[in-house]
Amino acid sequence: MTAFKRIDKPSHINRTKQISFQFDGKMFNGFVGDTLASALLANGKTLLGRSFKYHRPRGIIGAGIEESNALLTTGSDGRTEPNTISTTAELKSGITAKSQNAWPSLNFDLMAVNQLLSPIFGAGFYYKTFMGPLKKSWMMYEPIIRKAAGLGAAVPDVDSARYEMRYMFCDVLIIGSGPAGLAAAVTAARSGARVVLVEQDFEFGGSILSSGSEELERWRKAQIAELEKSPEVRLLKRTTAQGIYDQNLAVLSLTPENHPALKITEQLRARTIIMATGAIERPLVFANNDRPGVMLASALRTYLNRFSVVPKKRAVIVTNNDSAYSTAFDLAENDVAVTVAEHRGTLSGNLLARAAQLGIAIFPNCGIADVIGEKQMRGVRLSGRHAVTIECDVLGMSGGWSPAVHLTSHGGIKPKYNEQIAAFIPGGFAKSHFGAGAINGTFGLLAAIREGDAAARAALPDSKKIKEFDLPAVREDRKYSIQPIWNAAEKSNEKYAFVDFQNDVTVKDIKGAHQEGYFSVEHLKRYTTLGMGTDQGKTSNVNALAMMADLRGLPLSQAGTTTFRPPYSPMTVGAIAARSVGLRFKPKRLSPLHDWHVAHGATFIEAGLWMRAWFYDWAGKTPEEAYIKEMELVRQNVGISDVSSLGKIDVQGSDAAEFLNRIYVNGFAKLPVGRARYGVMLNDDGVVLDDGTTSRITDTKFYMTTTTAQAGEVMSWLEYLLQMHWTDLNVHVTSLTDEWGGMAVSGPNSRRALQLAFPEIDITNEALPYMGVIEFKFEGVEVRVLRLSFSGELAYEVHCSADYTTALWEHILKAAELLGIKPYGLEALASLRIEKGHVAGADLDHRNTLDDLGLGKMAGKDKAYIGKELRFREDCQAPERWSLVGIESMEEGAKLRGGAILFAATDEIKGHGRGYITSVTWSTELNKYIALALYNGGLKHEGEDIICAFPLKNENVKARIVSPHFIDKQGERLHA
Amino acid sequence: MLKRVSALASAITFTGNGLNIAEAPDFTLTQYAGSEKELKKALGKIPARMSVSLEHDRRTQLRINPTQIWVIGEPVEAEACISTPLSSSRTRIVVEGENARFVLAKLSAIDFHPKQFKADTFVQTAIHHTPALIHCVGENAFHIYAMRTFALSVWEAVTDAALEFSA
Repeated sequence: MTAFKRIDKPSHINRTKQISFQFDGKMFNGFVGDTLASALLANGKTLLGRSFKYHRPRGIIGAGIEESNALLTTGSDGRTEPNTISTTAELKSGITAKSQNAWPSLNFDLMAVNQLLSPIFGAGFYYKTFMGPLKKSWMMYEPIIRKAAGLGAAVPDVDSARYEMRYMFCDVLIIGSGPAGLAAAVTAARSGARVVLVEQDFEFGGSILSSGSEELERWRKAQIAELEKSPEVRLLKRTTAQGIYDQNLAVLSLTPENHPALKITEQLRARTIIMATGAIERPLVFANNDRPGVMLASALRTYLNRFSVVPKKRAVIVTNNDSAYSTAFDLAENDVAVTVAEHRGTLSGNLLARAAQLGIAIFPNCGIADVIGEKQMRGVRLSGRHAVTIECDVLGMSGGWSPAVHLTSHGGIKPKYNEQIAAFIPGGFAKSHFGAGAINGTFGLLAAIREGDAAARAALPDSKKIKEFDLPAVREDRKYSIQPIWNAAEKSNEKYAFVDFQNDVTVKDIKGAHQEGYFSVEHLKRYTTLGMGTDQGKTSNVNALAMMADLRGLPLSQAGTTTFRPPYSPMTVGAIAARSVGLRFKPKRLSPLHDWHVAHGATFIEAGLWMRAWFYDWAGKTPEEAYIKEMELVRQNVGISDVSSLGKIDVQGSDAAEFLNRIYVNGFAKLPVGRARYGVMLNDDGVVLDDGTTSRITDTKFYMTTTTAQAGEVMSWLEYLLQMHWTDLNVHVTSLTDEWGGMAVSGPNSRRALQLAFPEIDITNEALPYMGVIEFKFEGVEVRVLRLSFSGELAYEVHCSADYTTALWEHILKAAELLGIKPYGLEALASLRIEKGHVAGADLDHRNTLDDLGLGKMAGKDKAYIGKELRFREDCQAPERWSLVGIESMEEGAKLRGGAILFAATDEIKGHGRGYITSVTWSTELNKYIALALYNGGLKHEGEDIICAFPLKNENVKARIVSPHFIDKQGERLHA
Repeated sequence: MLKRVSALASAITFTGNGLNIAEAPDFTLTQYAGSEKELKKALGKIPARMSVSLEHDRRTQLRINPTQIWVIGEPVEAEACISTPLSSSRTRIVVEGENARFVLAKLSAIDFHPKQFKADTFVQTAIHHTPALIHCVGENAFHIYAMRTFALSVWEAVTDAALEFSA
């Protein structure tokens, strides 16, 4: 059964370029310029899918973005795209499309049995039925319901397509390229402004493309040609303005041609925005108005004039307004027998005269009582006094036009009801926003062009100088007339009269919602699912809102609309994520030594954004194996480790010492030149911010190091203090984290290693004691050696310019090769410091006080420092605070785990416990697992037995609280 | 002299149509900090405002904030203000050619239109979530100063954005 055919009439398809495509496994042909929908119609395919809930046969309703029924799944595997709108999908060679929500086939869908159950499947059915009998019953029902209902299905395969994001700017953004948009673009372009014209379609022209007028086509082409010659104009076809945000940010979704990206998301910042988004035709609501072959009247005109696709023999048009007569006349002129069911009683004389001329029969005061046919309509039964049945191939319906106000509402401006055109129009425009054409309810073509021109002039300064606009040579606009008809369904058929085609919402459902007390339009939406889904109610909302207003006895203007939110049409998640996927999700921060580590068998671990050398293959293939050997190397000989990720800050100025004295809890004012000092800084709430060492290079120059994790925060904090609080201090701070690389040379042989590397430098204990600092030039490069130790061994940090860090590292390795020096990684570095009892990022949870960490005594009593006052507030001094302790495993072979919850030996293992393990390692010196932890009351419990519970692995390990300093408590090794 | 190693030593080179992307190494960058008076005393002429670069005495000056100026070129003897060498801290990437502005538009939310972003202007912005300074040094020629530790990620982002122009 075919209801449509392709005719020879000239249109916008290119008949010299035929292309093949596949639908439900069968091959079809179309032309360049077709949409998927127009090509399917031309091939006689009117049944394209099954409805969401009842699995009713569905065809094509519209010819554009408003389509609610003809959604197809295109592509395959990772490139599968469900819910492709066939009425906007440009026909491409080789495209494969499948119908949705039908099994085993579109023609014979077993779930169509749901139609028989429709009396009980009304709105609210799920909420009422699937609540019980048990509390978790929904979990059982959900997969079954999901399988039985819905739209297209996503696939689990990785999407191989590329998506991009870009940021653009312009003076005037024009959304929509119909008559108003084209006029606005040309006027704006003539001013020399930077103009962007956005069109969702793959051709510019909007309604002109459907007009069939040669004069309008000439005018359209002339405008586009002028725009294409304008150097400051960007013409964006296949581009949807998805949302308008604050400060004139428009988010555009582009489908580019001849580009590596499938989609581009553009964030466009415009000085002014002209919305020429047009209007969407409304369906009429009557029994079986969803049958394949029932379409919007304007869609029939589009298929005729743009794609040369017409109903085979007979068409019925049902309308309550004048616009549908353009379709009726065009069809009749192309040898289609047309009958009009006219809801109104009177019509203008020129319409009647033209209809008579074309042999169109008009039945006034009547609508459609019912549609005959199931998978393809075969006829209609008229309502009213002309209760006749008419055989026809298609039914074109027009319930009036709804301006596309969505974008104007994204900023929060509610639309307002205009009784003259029986539609909502923008409730206003934000500053620097303008509207033109049908969006304003201006449905005449010439009026729209004039409004477009005027909007552009209003948007631009000095618009008087812009050349006057040429209008097309067409007759003046016909006055738009409409008699609102929101519900034309007979009472007995309300359950088959569809308001929202995509969500299977009927008149009965809306009445049901009213009976249940869901009066508000927002409640109506949630209760019935009206206006949800991929079309977001573009065709259904106004009819439904008007019905609810009627039921409530309110004028439609008071019932209001639901809230319009971006995106205007469906966007794929890929287009939103753009290039921020996979390895590109975040940047990687690399040490200057990174390439060396790669070349020398390092395995890496992410530490924040840093990629750090975790362990080296000289020591083992697994971290568990390697770090033990690397620790032994440092404890017994000498190792070298990359510490370039430490935060490094240059603090200079005549007040630098005073500044440091204020930010650290301990004194820095009298730190001698050539010496370093460990310091702790607090936030102003008395909680520990960070720790590290600062070295005095000259009287007015200091070199601060921070933890890797807190480097950025400390830098910001210092800048904040200098810019906001202590503007009187002559201090400048600069991050040197990227400028300087660093390496720790650690172990009892570290001094010998450096002596071999720098034989001309005196680094004896006398010349460079513990916490001493020296600077010298080595082969033209400035080197800074700080005698510091994180590992607890005799150790040095060697810093130099990042560009030369690799060369210096290699030099030290080579010079000390005879000693057996080798690199050690982050795992060993972190384990060595646990043995020594040095806290690090894992132990600092931004809730610790100085006393929690056992560092209270280092704070200066007589000096002021940030956080001093609040450090002594009551809860910071509470005796049972979680404070730093050491933990030793008491079970041979049993592993302690980071994050384990700590309980006293007599506690029930339940709840949050008394603390948790913050860092853990195997101790090569003690031959057991040890850990640092925060424990309620801290070292007051030293010597007590505890349980370390790790519920994820169902482990409970016996342990004991000890001092956090496991080795070399006297610091003899440091001072060696 | 120890051997200098670039942060982009392992980067894959890019060849493009109407586009050249490459590292421009071997520059000397020094930051000078002080009051307006101190900076003028040390550097002679200084840029009047941020965002505009100044060529003076064979050096390029970029005023990155009211009290700090980056000088690209031989360091100045500047006792009047505070100087900090930063040559290793930044990796300089050149993006030039007729398509350069299109590439930059994918990287940073800045208006790179020729009328807006002209030669001898610069912006302090972000590329791939990391701080970057972009300096327009010619009609369609730009220097990106990326943080050294993020340079490879920035390079990958820049060359990825340029994919449509790759040869």
